[in-house]
Amino acid sequence: MALHLNLLHEEISEQRQRQRDPLKIGVMVLAACGVLLFLYYAWNAYETLAIKSRLSAIEQDWAKIEPKVTAAQKRSAELTNIINTTRVLDNYIDNRFFWAPLLEKISRCVAPNAQLTTIEGNMLDDNKGVTVNIEGVAAAREPRSAAEDLRQMLLEQLGQTYSEVKVEFKSLEDVDTVAKIGDANTPMARYTIAVTFKTASAPKPEPTPARSKRKNESS
Amino acid sequence: MNLPKLNKDQAKKVFLSTMGFVFLLYVYFTFFLGPLNKSRHDTQAKIADRQHKLDTSKSEMQKAVNLERQAKDATARFTALKALSPEGAPIAWFPPRMKSFFADQRIDKAVARLESNAGFKEPELSDWVKYNWVIELPQADYTTLGRAIAELENTEPLLCINKLSIHLVPDQAQFQQIAIAATTVIQKR
Repeated sequence: MALHLNLLHEEISEQRQRQRDPLKIGVMVLAACGVLLFLYYAWNAYETLAIKSRLSAIEQDWAKIEPKVTAAQKRSAELTNIINTTRVLDNYIDNRFFWAPLLEKISRCVAPNAQLTTIEGNMLDDNKGVTVNIEGVAAAREPRSAAEDLRQMLLEQLGQTYSEVKVEFKSLEDVDTVAKIGDANTPMARYTIAVTFKTASAPKPEPTPARSKRKNESS
Repeated sequence: MNLPKLNKDQAKKVFLSTMGFVFLLYVYFTFFLGPLNKSRHDTQAKIADRQHKLDTSKSEMQKAVNLERQAKDATARFTALKALSPEGAPIAWFPPRMKSFFADQRIDKAVARLESNAGFKEPELSDWVKYNWVIELPQADYTTLGRAIAELENTEPLLCINKLSIHLVPDQAQFQQIAIAATTVIQKR
């Protein structure tokens, strides 16, 4: 085995010492990390720029389409409002109580020997029903019976159209005056009849806006 | 693993290097990567929002077109109902209209008085007002009155009769005195 003499031992160890300098190694590591981080940042920045460019393109598209969309939304809201208002108004119109057919029915019930002096009709709240007070006089050999005939007739006639019809005498009294029918003097009775009935018999289906409203065809 | 033994100076340098590295990371994440990522996320959120708007806008426009088609009848009907009320205060035009209406029905001297007015509870009718009127007809025969009321109810769809009072005229048995309490629905002007 050859014998080696290292005469530069001190220089070499100083050089090694310098190479192993922790600060130098640290700076190198830091620099390497810095480069890596910079590259990562650059990649992220590039991606962000690409995303921003995409956003810009989308915003341009949106700017083109937005006025039309806003107008369409406004029109939709307006139309929806019109449809809803028309529907509620149609409900109001459909749920009205028509008095002319009632007057016609009452007129059909009055026999020649009866006379009505007052008709007072009232619609109850929310169209739930109608009350009618009828005052009048009847003249016949049996005037109370003539008044009862009128009551029966009203009950029958109104029952054909309305529900829960009640026709009751509030008062029925003979009067001293007599009516002259033909040549005969006929006794008279004065009566007050209270009529109540419901107008809405069954729930109605939702009306369509185009439905015809001309449903009162009496008289 | 055998780490070389560090002298005091070397340990100080290692410590300084480590501190420098930590500081570098802090600066990098706080002032560079953090704001960049935030900006990217914000932009992505904006893109998603705009994209959603763009996607829904097509359906919105289609919906408006369909609604326009469906609402054709309702719009025509709404216009017709609106046209029933002329411009101006109802008290200015409703009484003359009633007078003229009943005159056409051969009932003279009709007088309409405004009793009250009120808004609707329904939000759909926030632009409409209820007007309560009393229409007095001093003299009419029963048949003519019946026909006139039928015509009134048919030609004035927004008019609803709430009360009807018919009294015999004392001296003229063929005539009646009539009072009609009616409500009309009129658009606010």
